[in-house]
Amino acid sequence: MKRGYWAGALILVGFLALGLTTFTKSMTPYVSFEEAHKAGRTVQVMGALEKGSSRYDTTNQTLHFTLVDQTTKARLPVIYSDVKPANFEEAVSIVAIGQTQAGTFHAEKLLVKCPSKYQGEEVEKTYGGGKKA
Amino acid sequence: MNAQSIGFAPGTFAIWAALLSGLACIVVYLKAMRLAPAAAGLPGGAVFQPERGHPFDQHIAFARRLYTGFVLSVVLASALLMRLLLSHDFRVSYVASYSGRDLPFRYLFSTFWAGQEGSFLLWLFWGALIGLVVYRTAKEQEAPVMVVYVLSFLGIVAILAKQPPFRFLAELPPDGQGLNPLLQDPWMVIHPPVMFSGFASLSVPFAFAIAALWAKRWDGWVVRAFPWALFTFVTLGTAILMGGYWAYKTLGWGGYWAWDPVENTSLVPWLATAALVHGMVLQKVREKHRKINVILAILAFCCILYGTFLTRSGVLADFSVHSFVDLGITGWLVFIILFFLLGGLGLLAVRWRSIPVEPELDATGKLKEEPFFSRSVLFILSVTLFCASGTVILLGTSAPIITRIAGKPSQVATSFYNVTHTPVAIVMGLLMMLVPLLSWRGEAPRKVLGKSLVSLAAGAVGAGLFLAFGVTGPKDLIFLFFVTGGLWANVDATVLFIRRKAISSMGGYLAHVGTSIMLVGILVSGVYEKKTTVTLYRNQPTAVGRNTLTFVKTVFATEDGQIKGTAELDSTRLADRRAKQAMEVDVKTPTGKIWKAYPKMYVNERTRQMMANPDVRSTAVMDLYVSPQAYDPGSSARLEGTVATFHKGEVKTLHGVSFKFLDFSADRSAMASGNPRVTVTSSFLVTSATTAKELSAPMVMRMGAGGGTESPETVIPGTAGRFRVRRVSANEGLCEIEVLGLDPAGDLKPATPESFSLDLTTKPLISLVWGGFYVMMAGALVALLRRGREARAAVLA
Repeated sequence: MKRGYWAGALILVGFLALGLTTFTKSMTPYVSFEEAHKAGRTVQVMGALEKGSSRYDTTNQTLHFTLVDQTTKARLPVIYSDVKPANFEEAVSIVAIGQTQAGTFHAEKLLVKCPSKYQGEEVEKTYGGGKKA
Repeated sequence: MNAQSIGFAPGTFAIWAALLSGLACIVVYLKAMRLAPAAAGLPGGAVFQPERGHPFDQHIAFARRLYTGFVLSVVLASALLMRLLLSHDFRVSYVASYSGRDLPFRYLFSTFWAGQEGSFLLWLFWGALIGLVVYRTAKEQEAPVMVVYVLSFLGIVAILAKQPPFRFLAELPPDGQGLNPLLQDPWMVIHPPVMFSGFASLSVPFAFAIAALWAKRWDGWVVRAFPWALFTFVTLGTAILMGGYWAYKTLGWGGYWAWDPVENTSLVPWLATAALVHGMVLQKVREKHRKINVILAILAFCCILYGTFLTRSGVLADFSVHSFVDLGITGWLVFIILFFLLGGLGLLAVRWRSIPVEPELDATGKLKEEPFFSRSVLFILSVTLFCASGTVILLGTSAPIITRIAGKPSQVATSFYNVTHTPVAIVMGLLMMLVPLLSWRGEAPRKVLGKSLVSLAAGAVGAGLFLAFGVTGPKDLIFLFFVTGGLWANVDATVLFIRRKAISSMGGYLAHVGTSIMLVGILVSGVYEKKTTVTLYRNQPTAVGRNTLTFVKTVFATEDGQIKGTAELDSTRLADRRAKQAMEVDVKTPTGKIWKAYPKMYVNERTRQMMANPDVRSTAVMDLYVSPQAYDPGSSARLEGTVATFHKGEVKTLHGVSFKFLDFSADRSAMASGNPRVTVTSSFLVTSATTAKELSAPMVMRMGAGGGTESPETVIPGTAGRFRVRRVSANEGLCEIEVLGLDPAGDLKPATPESFSLDLTTKPLISLVWGGFYVMMAGALVALLRRGREARAAVLA
């Protein structure tokens, strides 16, 4: 029976080791626009869509737009070569995962956060009250 | 506290009543235990059987009444919230945030659990009801079990007392925000209640395990708690699958599982429960390995709390598509987790040495070493495998928190989970293959090989078949080899049990049959799916792989997605705000059959969001998945000049002519006299190559019914061009003009065709994911019936 526990421990350690090595490899850190330029690897950036900056090329299925950092006001041009996500223009904030090439961020994946997600907060902002300070 | 934060007073008071009665119930049970520890199943104190009317009995009876009070308060609070939702009482913030007047009854009903507070209340509701069964079946363990059980829910009651779902808004909104349109789906009506019944029932094994440590009764608890662990396994599993099926059918990103934090935090407790179920079988059969189950029961419960923390505290808001609003309960959640985790493991540490291990001695009194190839070892390995899988998933899900400590919060790619889980599935297949072949006491290694030859051959045949059908990855083939071998061994065992008419004992094997089938489905449908993005033009057949797709027309779908007639969509019928627009696509399959697919794309009136629902054609072998991506209604050829918008004083050059917007003025006398036609005159300084001149361009606004604007053209001197004012906004100081006749390319814009872009995905054997799951759950239900009977016999004994 002891050997059973040892084998179990071995499995556990083996998978944890696999997990940890894969963990560091599959990491996509959240970085600022400035760091995204230097990173040279897959990273995530978050920002707001600059009004009027988005342009979608239907024939090549490429989406061009500019992200604006809400705090530093830094700008980052983004290219996304896939179908334009639904509700793209209404997004409150956009998370782009990809890497920078020649000053432009090539996104592999976009996470579009829409206002409805925050509806609970919105109602209380508009009509007052609710949440205790 | 002011009137506003109390909100709907009966509801808030019901929650406070639940908090107080729950606390009182714990105190009275504790008092009873102090009065007669032995009667409460605790060690110490004189052995004595309390007579009727003894203070111990009175205390227990009183504690039960308090528990009933707790249940009634929770039920009352839930009923009140439901009533407020059904009666559209938008004074209440929760009602205004998650429901609306336009919701049909079934969705209005489900707004109860659309927000966080309501979900907590739902969790509590199930917990309260399940407790009614628990105290009746805990027998002599009742007092310690109920103390821990009620305690496990008090944290949630406290959260609700802090953030009651009955808070009022300062002003009364005319209508609510409505339910998130994605959640308006039958699956999403039943998914949360099933999920939370699983969450709530996991408190039962936890309470029994802690009570066992407390009372030093090591074996009896497993019999009583076993059916509940299986209940959690079935309910959590079903809820997870329903969520996945819903994602597959409605979200349209193409899969059923995205390794999203919200999904993971329900999967990990399910894996922990699976580990617990296996550990309980082991302890029941062998009457040892007692520590495993106590640890698992504690960890499984804490996994749920930790998952709640991850998804409800807002720590992952930037990393999940299901971002939740931070309720300001983060600190409280951390406290609850640490309390139960450290409390439980602390008690275990204190008791560690007194837990009997019962070494087996042989005839000469020497310690007997059991053979390695025994079912006992397999069970231990399966428990560690579940734990390893759960730990790795938790590690990945917690990545943003772990990396925050080091600096930048980061997330792992989904490949992390897929890479780590391939070996998990392979080992799982191997263990499942060996289980029916080995006895509890073990076998000699050579015999094991002989017994498993048939299963190994079946695995080789299985892997060979998949190879013939195009599965080529070496890792995938190893995976399929072990999993089909395991499938064979367990089918064999199940059939044997049916022949022996011992159906009640075959639950485990049947569950393994289902698991193997499901693993095959997960691998093949995931790795060998083929996705093609294609843009279709009306009535132009386009070949996609072996299928031919033709976009026929847009049609009208009702609110629940039914296609109403196949007539061409008439935009006037879309005046019904709940109607949806569907695209009719003929999919001609290689066999020549035509399937009419109706993927939907429409704007939700309330949220103004573009919604897209896929359409799926399922067969046993393959699903065809049509997911809409973009729809362009197209336009006919038209005259359209160059459009530009100006702020006051702004200069723009259009086709070599410079325009400076000077000012605009409205005809105030016409407005004052009530003339329905008001002229707004905008003045521009227009500079062309030859002349510079200030020009005034009028725009007439017709007031009242049949209103609109008229924009006469103004000639630009010295050129062939002319311009007109299209829009004026006094508030923003904006003027929009259209310039005609200057563009060297001409103002005639060509027609653009109507087009529809979609993803066509073929998903081989995805039916096995659902089918295997049903079989797995059938096996779990068979086991649940058996263990339920055993628990009942133990209670009646």
